[in-house]
Amino acid sequence: MKKLSEVEEGKYKIVDITKPGKLRKLCNIGVLVGDTIEVIKSCPGPIIIKKGNITVGIGHGMAMDIIVEKVK
Amino acid sequence: MEEKVIAIAGNPNTGKTTTFNALTGTRQQVGNWPGVTVEKKEGYYIYKGVKFKVVDLPGTYTLTGESEDQKIAIDFLTQNQVDVLLLMADALNLERSMYFLILLSELNKNIIVDLNMVDLAEKEGIDYDVKHLEKLLKVKFVKTIGNKNIGFEDLKEAIYRKCKEPVSSECFISNYGDEIESAISEIINYLKNLNLPYPERFVALKVLEKDEYFVNLIINSVNYERINNLISRLEKFFNKPIERVLIEKRYGIIHGVVQEALIEKKKELKLEITEKLDRILTNNFLGPLTFLFIMFLTFTFVFGIGKPATKFLEVVFEKFGGIAANFPFPFWINSLIKDGIVSGVGSVVLFLPNIFLFFFFFSVLEDTGYMSRAAIVADRLMHKIGLHGKSAIPLILGFGCNVPAIMGTRILENKRDKILTSLSIPFMSCSARLPVYLLFTGIFFQENQGLIIFSLYLFGIIAGILSIKFFGSTFFKKESSPLIIELPPFRFPYWQGVLVESWTKTKYFLKKAGTIIFLGALILWFLSYFPDPTKYGAQSNFIGRLGSIISPLFKFSGFGFWQASVALIFGIYAKELVVGTFGILFGVGNLMESLKIYFTTASAYSFMIMSLLYMPCLATFLVLKKEIGMKWAIVSLFWSLFIGWLFSILFYQILNF
Repeated sequence: MKKLSEVEEGKYKIVDITKPGKLRKLCNIGVLVGDTIEVIKSCPGPIIIKKGNITVGIGHGMAMDIIVEKVK
Repeated sequence: MEEKVIAIAGNPNTGKTTTFNALTGTRQQVGNWPGVTVEKKEGYYIYKGVKFKVVDLPGTYTLTGESEDQKIAIDFLTQNQVDVLLLMADALNLERSMYFLILLSELNKNIIVDLNMVDLAEKEGIDYDVKHLEKLLKVKFVKTIGNKNIGFEDLKEAIYRKCKEPVSSECFISNYGDEIESAISEIINYLKNLNLPYPERFVALKVLEKDEYFVNLIINSVNYERINNLISRLEKFFNKPIERVLIEKRYGIIHGVVQEALIEKKKELKLEITEKLDRILTNNFLGPLTFLFIMFLTFTFVFGIGKPATKFLEVVFEKFGGIAANFPFPFWINSLIKDGIVSGVGSVVLFLPNIFLFFFFFSVLEDTGYMSRAAIVADRLMHKIGLHGKSAIPLILGFGCNVPAIMGTRILENKRDKILTSLSIPFMSCSARLPVYLLFTGIFFQENQGLIIFSLYLFGIIAGILSIKFFGSTFFKKESSPLIIELPPFRFPYWQGVLVESWTKTKYFLKKAGTIIFLGALILWFLSYFPDPTKYGAQSNFIGRLGSIISPLFKFSGFGFWQASVALIFGIYAKELVVGTFGILFGVGNLMESLKIYFTTASAYSFMIMSLLYMPCLATFLVLKKEIGMKWAIVSLFWSLFIGWLFSILFYQILNF
């Protein structure tokens, strides 16, 4: 398990979002805990993730609170 | 005529604006929601003898009381007459739109869902059985293709019919399962007799979600301890935060519904072009390059296309001023028209082509989806100064003209970011300041004119960063909100919508700024004309006396003579008037020679610094007042005066050392 801010591009599963406020923000856009996402762009700078038709840019500070797991 | 009210709600990028424009055409106006600086759009159309007022609510993903624009949506929907709530749904992201539907359905409104962009969805192999969706969700669905103007007649008819119906009691209410439902009932019990202006079940859900606004609303009138215990019990039961439970429940319900209604699935859902473009446009190396290139193009177009139009208007005003001078009226009326109204109002109207073009390109970049990519690219840099990527866009617009730039801060959802960005925009050297630089560098810095001008632009940026740092650390202790921004699929702009949008905004600017500039023009004219009308703008007239009073302030900046002060006073109108005023005071023919006598290299530079920084022009000030309030507009005024004064002294003294 890693922070989203630390991972390379590839497929991941969201395991947890540690801050409730941030959790709500991301969930409202349609990305939930348990979803499989694809990291299109990794750090430095904002991270871009994709889930189905939803593409979201996430700032570094926010990505540090998102815990993901590599999907093979 | 009978009047019905329609509110349009929906996620960002679902074509809300396009639908709003398609329904209302140009019969619309932009304003602000009372008390806040969130843009409010209203319009109307007439269908079958009924007047439909259409209100465009801010685009949001959810309904919490914690965010300004969502609070507006909640309040409007609960406290005003709303006959139909039109929910824009994105056929490409139906689940998320339906998630929003669940939230909205708690507000007990007549809802119609506008399933938009069905053509794009079909291309991706997605189609929905609308009848089935209607049965499952108990709301009316209408399919549209917003940017091709398809489906709006059906939509108008559906709205017309819906208005005739009472609010359906059969409305879809989500069921969150026994544990949560019983908690909701319990909270509703506590809320009895509170007379809240919102539906009780809605408030109960918000309180359960720990929505700060709604918790604060009831915390003093109920035994919150009991609600808190209830929440802890539930969290223990589900073993996760309650807000997550609720969100997951909703998505659970919706996922089932959407999957059931999905009828076609030819291929794997993928937006390949968008993904490929995203890899380039947000790449750490290529991203900034394309960003700069696109900004360069925008500026070239705005000024390239705008220039002839501006020149044309200039000629028109000059001609008109010339004619006005010979009107068969008393001398003072002619002077009032020519020197006061024509040159004052004219100075604003001259900006119109550029402002319109700015809004136009702004909308195009927004419509295609590039804007959110730009925010991603700029985020790293902006983060270092305490803002996030979205602020970069209005700041860059500031180099063209501060006015649309400040209006552009509306894309920032957080008040702190909006104010900080607006306070630093006036330091971005707009095109109107260029004539001042050109005049002075042409005389005093012929060798390295480009370098000196560049240094001024750079210094403007530094002053902007200083302001953000200063106000960010003194008045806004809170951090910038974390960046989370959706990157919508790339698409072609909808030209009709873009045009209507830019025109409406330009009109709004003209109306607001025009009237007050007119007043300002009258005052300046009065000061220049009296008491001796034959010496317009001379030292013996009020304006000159005022200049003489102010000028000692600039003794240490190297330009402590009254003409410079008068030029700066006139520059408040519009900064290019600084040059024009010198022209009047010294006579155009002797301008170069006179400036050489009055200025030295050092004082010329410090004067340019002053012109760059000293205060927002009248139009900018008005927009500042409109966007961030009188208090901050005045702060901006004094802050920039102070910064300008301080740095002009500093530069003069250093250069003279």
